[in-house]
Amino acid sequence: MFVPHSEIDLKKMFEELSISSLDDLFTHIPTTLKLNDGLNVPPTLSELESISHFESVESKNTQNLICFAGGGHYDVYLPHTVKTLTMRPEFMTSYTPYQAEISQGILQILFEYQSLICDLTDMELANASLYDGATSVAEAISVAINKTKRNGVVVSNGFNPNTKEVVNTLVDRSKFDIKYVDLIDYMFPEDYIFTEEDAAFVVSLPHYEGSAQDLTTIVKNAKAVGVITICYIDPSLLGILKTPGSMGFDIVVAEGQSMGSPLSFGGPTVGWFATKKELARLVPGRIIGETRDSNHTKTYVMTLRAREQDIRREKASSNICTNQTLNAVGSTIHLSWLGPQGLYEIGYQAIQKASYMKQQLLDHDINISNPNNSLREFIVQTSKPAVDVIIEMGNKGFLAGIKYSDNEILVAVTEKRTKSEIDKYVTSLQEVDNA
Amino acid sequence: MHSGGNASSLPLVGGAPEPTINQLSKPGRRASRFPKLDVPVTEINNPAIRNDKPSLPEVSEHDLVMHYSRLAHRNFAVDVGFYPLGSCTMKYNPRFADYVAGLNTFANSHPATPATFTQGNLEVLHELEKFLIEITGMDNATFQPPAGASGELTGLLIIKKYLEENGLSNKKDIIVPDSAHGTNPASAKMAGFNVVEVSTDIRGMVNIEDLRSLVNENTAGLMLTNPNTGGLFEENIMEISNIIHENGGLIYYDGANLNAIVGVCRPGDMGFDIVHSNLHKTFATPHGGGGPGSGPVAVKGFLKEYLPGPIVVQNSNGYDWYSPKSSIGRMHGYHGNFLVALRALVYMKLLGKEGLDTLGSYAVLNARYLSSVISKIIPLAYNEPCMHEFVATVKDLKKSHKIKAYDVGKALLDKGFHSPTIYFPLIIEEALMFEPTETQTVDTLDDLAETLKLIIEELQGEDVSLEEYPKNLPVGRPNELIPAKHLTVNWGDFELLELTE
Repeated sequence: MFVPHSEIDLKKMFEELSISSLDDLFTHIPTTLKLNDGLNVPPTLSELESISHFESVESKNTQNLICFAGGGHYDVYLPHTVKTLTMRPEFMTSYTPYQAEISQGILQILFEYQSLICDLTDMELANASLYDGATSVAEAISVAINKTKRNGVVVSNGFNPNTKEVVNTLVDRSKFDIKYVDLIDYMFPEDYIFTEEDAAFVVSLPHYEGSAQDLTTIVKNAKAVGVITICYIDPSLLGILKTPGSMGFDIVVAEGQSMGSPLSFGGPTVGWFATKKELARLVPGRIIGETRDSNHTKTYVMTLRAREQDIRREKASSNICTNQTLNAVGSTIHLSWLGPQGLYEIGYQAIQKASYMKQQLLDHDINISNPNNSLREFIVQTSKPAVDVIIEMGNKGFLAGIKYSDNEILVAVTEKRTKSEIDKYVTSLQEVDNA
Repeated sequence: MHSGGNASSLPLVGGAPEPTINQLSKPGRRASRFPKLDVPVTEINNPAIRNDKPSLPEVSEHDLVMHYSRLAHRNFAVDVGFYPLGSCTMKYNPRFADYVAGLNTFANSHPATPATFTQGNLEVLHELEKFLIEITGMDNATFQPPAGASGELTGLLIIKKYLEENGLSNKKDIIVPDSAHGTNPASAKMAGFNVVEVSTDIRGMVNIEDLRSLVNENTAGLMLTNPNTGGLFEENIMEISNIIHENGGLIYYDGANLNAIVGVCRPGDMGFDIVHSNLHKTFATPHGGGGPGSGPVAVKGFLKEYLPGPIVVQNSNGYDWYSPKSSIGRMHGYHGNFLVALRALVYMKLLGKEGLDTLGSYAVLNARYLSSVISKIIPLAYNEPCMHEFVATVKDLKKSHKIKAYDVGKALLDKGFHSPTIYFPLIIEEALMFEPTETQTVDTLDDLAETLKLIIEELQGEDVSLEEYPKNLPVGRPNELIPAKHLTVNWGDFELLELTE
């Protein structure tokens, strides 16, 4: 498959190499290592046969669950225009733009991506993507540690447990002390005392639980003792919430899935990373810069390359090489499609619909742990075990949310949900949880 | 064939620069429309809410489509031309995989959906695991690492945890060849190891004597790709793995060059304990302009319980998630780059036994053929049979005519070819590294060689100014100093710089 050679081609190539078979290519490989009977794998399938195979596998997933799950990944409407432009083969099948002269397309889009993210977050420099939200948090902590040479890392407990697990994997806990700080009434404590041992303060806006607060004072307190402050954001609420830059944060990271990527079972998505120029030389991953060519024509190039692994090897700011460029292209085109009004509307409608849903739940005697300061996401209490409720709701056609605790479910609402879906969810939940 | 024959009509258009999306913005224009809010409006009071609108460009949908389509016309890609790019395996990416990756619940499952409702997705990962462990000769795999470098780090963290649990925390040295990819030492450092470099011998392979002298009670392991970055099969691989194993270390296979050996031999049979594969190289998933990739890690059975979890297992009820008991912890927020894994599975199913058994052979055939014709134009770095890629050098041309590998690469761009990888591996002067992959025709390989011959003659001309190459592309050589010095990384930065200077 996909090998183009005809018999005539093979004859020509074999003659050039003075060989008579493909096996003759490998006389230098120890015989004991060679696979004599080949691989134990199924026979080739034609494309036509593959269609029915993969459609049948896909049909084993429960179809069309109405999504009320969030936790970083949101069922935001992804316009056809954005999908088809992102998947243009000139973008999708291109390599990393090391050769600037033939890569201006990708380079300019990544430059636009960086600029859009800086504008939206009030930062000065964004990189050209990291793997996902969770790994971006770990990379940001690493920047803070490298900058401050301190050992303490203060992390809000209001994070997706998976994100915390990634941080625990990637930050060496034999060297660095990660302190998880509990939220009080779903808010990060305003009076938390940072010390001069702390390298980083990491907090999510909104918190994983869906509650949001103005973090300006806390950031100010952290920065007063030289702590690098890191804000993890939900990009689809950027049209509604104050910017991390305006609250004083040094670094902004995000799970960028809701901007330009389908849910994709969690990947590929994109990790956003933006900061201030003073931290430029510690930033992980690729950065695109604007310059001029020999004719003074506007040109984009990969820049600050001396931070990267292919040049600095073990002294690099990170080991990242392959990133999530195509998903960054998706974010760029999606944000441009949305414009200021569209981004506002995604956030506004999500919050309004969540507000309606909370009222409906309360009216049906279903308790909400954080009804007041939550925005598009909130915690619903169940009398049955949450895992059972989620399964039973699934059987009724809803992805009810993410298990938060034994008797709590984290529920998310996006602009895509309709009043009728919300109403049905509420009555279904009442049936399921009372049965 | 003055511009490279049928391989290369010039694919890119350019001319005047394309404005940024911000420069196309006019107040009041918009592409997006949403349904009217269908619930009653409530007043939302939260101190984190802003009063103004976010800063974004305002463009019509047609302007948006034209802008990004015009940018597409300024971008080289596998679907447009030939990338003889060493170490990158830029093979054809089957279009059919796009169709499968777009199927409803593959594309649109929320990652927190319980296994009960995502049996199809779990089956995809399980089936791909079976292919992968058979191809690499391993026992179990994780699909969490979203790229090769993350796969390397996963492997190293597994080595670290395994050694710790066996009371061998003193073992802190990871040996890496001086020809290795930069990610190897960077990943080893990130995992908290000391990096020890082993040299390359005159034939282009790991210097066994040097390796013996470096290995001791502190050796945690070795990272190696085979064939190595010079495109040569490490013939003493069994001896190398024995040296490491005898000293209680583990041996890690960097899957960067796996394409050379698929169906020929297997890392697991060579003694490797851990293998990462780059699905975006060997298994034909698109590079996406730099990503996404997928770097699944496969291990021998004794390391299964160290894998990042959860991993997919099959039981009487179907498929489920299993959390390994001594797991190093998650490497990704959820399940890695699932849709990339799915595309790789599509590729493997299409190839099947017939295609996979001969995959490495045809990749090597193309490279060996190209090396043979190119060796008549410029010398090869090693006088050894190459595998799926090979390294040539223009160090003599640099001495005689000041022609650098960089110049040759830039001149090739002008003729419709991507440059080969240059200046890598670092140990070879003025290196040009070619990897044709198995999906290119012999005509295209001939065209590349012919073009290379023509440009080398051209560059040796009397009045040639090397800096002028490339000449026929949307832009010429960029000034790389300006953005590095002035951090022009955001729109407006460059204009501001011009105003202030």
